[in-house]
Amino acid sequence: MIHWLRVIPQITLLWVIYQSGNFLAKISHLPVPGNVLGMVLLFILLLTGVIPIAWVEDGADLLLKHLAFFFIPIAVGLMQWIGLFELSGVQLISAIFLGSSACILVMGTVSKIFAGIRSGKGGI
Amino acid sequence: MNLLLVFITIAVTIGAYLLSRFLSQRYPHPLVNVVFLSTAMIIAVFMVSGISISQYQPGQNMMTFFLGPATAALAIPLYRNRKILTENLISVVIGIVSGTTVNMATTVLVAKLLGLSKVTVISLAPKSVTVPIAVSISQFLDGDPSLTSVFVIATGILGTFLTPILLNLFKVTNPLARGIVYGTTAHGQGTATALAEGSVQGSMSGVAMGLAAIYTSFAAPFLVSRLLG
Repeated sequence: MIHWLRVIPQITLLWVIYQSGNFLAKISHLPVPGNVLGMVLLFILLLTGVIPIAWVEDGADLLLKHLAFFFIPIAVGLMQWIGLFELSGVQLISAIFLGSSACILVMGTVSKIFAGIRSGKGGI
Repeated sequence: MNLLLVFITIAVTIGAYLLSRFLSQRYPHPLVNVVFLSTAMIIAVFMVSGISISQYQPGQNMMTFFLGPATAALAIPLYRNRKILTENLISVVIGIVSGTTVNMATTVLVAKLLGLSKVTVISLAPKSVTVPIAVSISQFLDGDPSLTSVFVIATGILGTFLTPILLNLFKVTNPLARGIVYGTTAHGQGTATALAEGSVQGSMSGVAMGLAAIYTSFAAPFLVSRLLG
């Protein structure tokens, strides 16, 4: 059972951290979205022990469990783009396929080089 | 603003989400994806009943309110796996930076060469990053959030099939290396697959997913403007 009395203040704290990230993005002029700075900020606060994990854990787990729900409304905006998929579906899939394959191959190669250096004989 | 309509659109969204979640738990398969199923159901209901996207907007704003705090919450899995991160810091950072850079550059160049519009190319750039952050990066670069969210899910589905095939083909057996590749290529969906492979792969994938999102948000503005320029 979810303990709302614990979860609601925790989500409020996460919201305050998110807004602090937005504020930091604004004053620092960093070309980075505020929510990413919010995430980095929370990570630093947890590492330095300013915020103990128990203060946010249950609220965070609840939000992450249903993360998909919060972006489904954004995906529904696709309604306006159905024509694009009819027209350029093959191009879109090609770009996604080639980009992902390149990523996997480069990272696989890098990891082999690293393992080679560490073990001194190459290969894993 | 028609309050009843706002209420109905929210109810349709929650209903579609719960039904898709039930189906994906009952029939676990990468193609039975909660976001794809829910989105298709909601669009179908709206088209049949004549609800337009502008009528959905008020409800949309209320539901996406939690996306901000949820993004901050992504620091929690990163913190829980901090030990595996600090023990492998250098290889993790080099792996993610090289993989993500090549990923974005290849995707953007291929999309540009195939003649896709500028908005589409920008919306494709953060495709390997977890949705809430990919959407912000897309907005930041004047891409389209709804396009990006769909590209990210498509990448996640493709990545869960492609990653194990390519890793096995290239004989990458180290569980740490496999975990990093899963999280960097296919974000949350990749992490779920990595967890099924083993706990080391899963933790490493969760760390990689968070770090790749942070690196992409710093690198994307620079890289995309140069590749498109």
